[in-house]
Amino acid sequence: MFFSLSLGRFYGIDSLIELLIIIVSAIIALYSHKIYKIVKEQNYRFFSWAFLFIAISFIFKIFSNFTVYQRIRIEGVNFVYTVLSQPNYIPILDFISFTIYKIFYIIGFLILFLLLTKTDKKQNIFLYAYLSIVVILFSIYLNFVFHITLILILIFLTYHFYENHKAHRTTNTKLVLIAFSIILLSHLFMIFSDMDPLDYMIAEGLMLIGFMSLLINQIKIKLAFKNGKKKQTGSNKRYLRNTAKE
Amino acid sequence: MVKRNRLEVTRDILEILQKNRQVKITHLIYKANLSNNSIKPYMEYLLKNKFMEEVIDKDKRFFKITNKGNEFLIEFSKIKIFSESFGL
Repeated sequence: MFFSLSLGRFYGIDSLIELLIIIVSAIIALYSHKIYKIVKEQNYRFFSWAFLFIAISFIFKIFSNFTVYQRIRIEGVNFVYTVLSQPNYIPILDFISFTIYKIFYIIGFLILFLLLTKTDKKQNIFLYAYLSIVVILFSIYLNFVFHITLILILIFLTYHFYENHKAHRTTNTKLVLIAFSIILLSHLFMIFSDMDPLDYMIAEGLMLIGFMSLLINQIKIKLAFKNGKKKQTGSNKRYLRNTAKE
Repeated sequence: MVKRNRLEVTRDILEILQKNRQVKITHLIYKANLSNNSIKPYMEYLLKNKFMEEVIDKDKRFFKITNKGNEFLIEFSKIKIFSESFGL
């Protein structure tokens, strides 16, 4: 007797992690869009798009996880039954979903890079877009090109957040710096994930920690000023003092 | 000195109103560092959206912040923390 069971590569643990990442990215994208509606500044609109692209990319990543399934065979001889399982995958679906994941993921981080490094010259944007298309085409077949490109983008982003933390020493800037440093580390592990499945799980775990750090930052922003000025955190107190001085 | 954007000027006016019980227009112009003409669109915006209200006391016009204005200031502070944390 045969039947197929799809729980992804790691019994669905990686898909669960990615689902949490989708939720966190969607929360940030929605909040940024809400700000855009109030402030009408394009920065917030593009920031919202960046995290929306990241969220969409992980939907396709989950889909690609489920193209791996276990083909379970139950054999019975003289009332003795043996259960045999064999991993299998649907190549075409895996290829399509993983490619869409890569495209959305690179575009998401590229928007963040262009936005945060304040690249507004049309020539530069065109050049980056062209290079990204080349990288995406290469990374369809070469996984390490995809990860190295992301590592490069993440190095610049982490440096930006380091400079930002130096300029504004608050818990929020520290949380964002920690988040992107961990996401960078996660992609370093991802390079070797094709060789060792353990590296893949470590990378996924690190990615989760990184996005959880971003979630804590969002929660802190949401809860700031909740109970009036008396219960504000140190960084918020400092913010109010600074703005009062201006 | 960095030029303030529209939202920052709005915040500054509301903060002045928050710090004082009620404020005369001349005091507001002086404290917000605006001219008589440049403050007009902000006043219209704040009154129209009920972020502040006009009070007549002893034949003199005063302005005071409303609850909605206080809520807007809190939201603005959150936006500021968000954009600061990502360096936007």
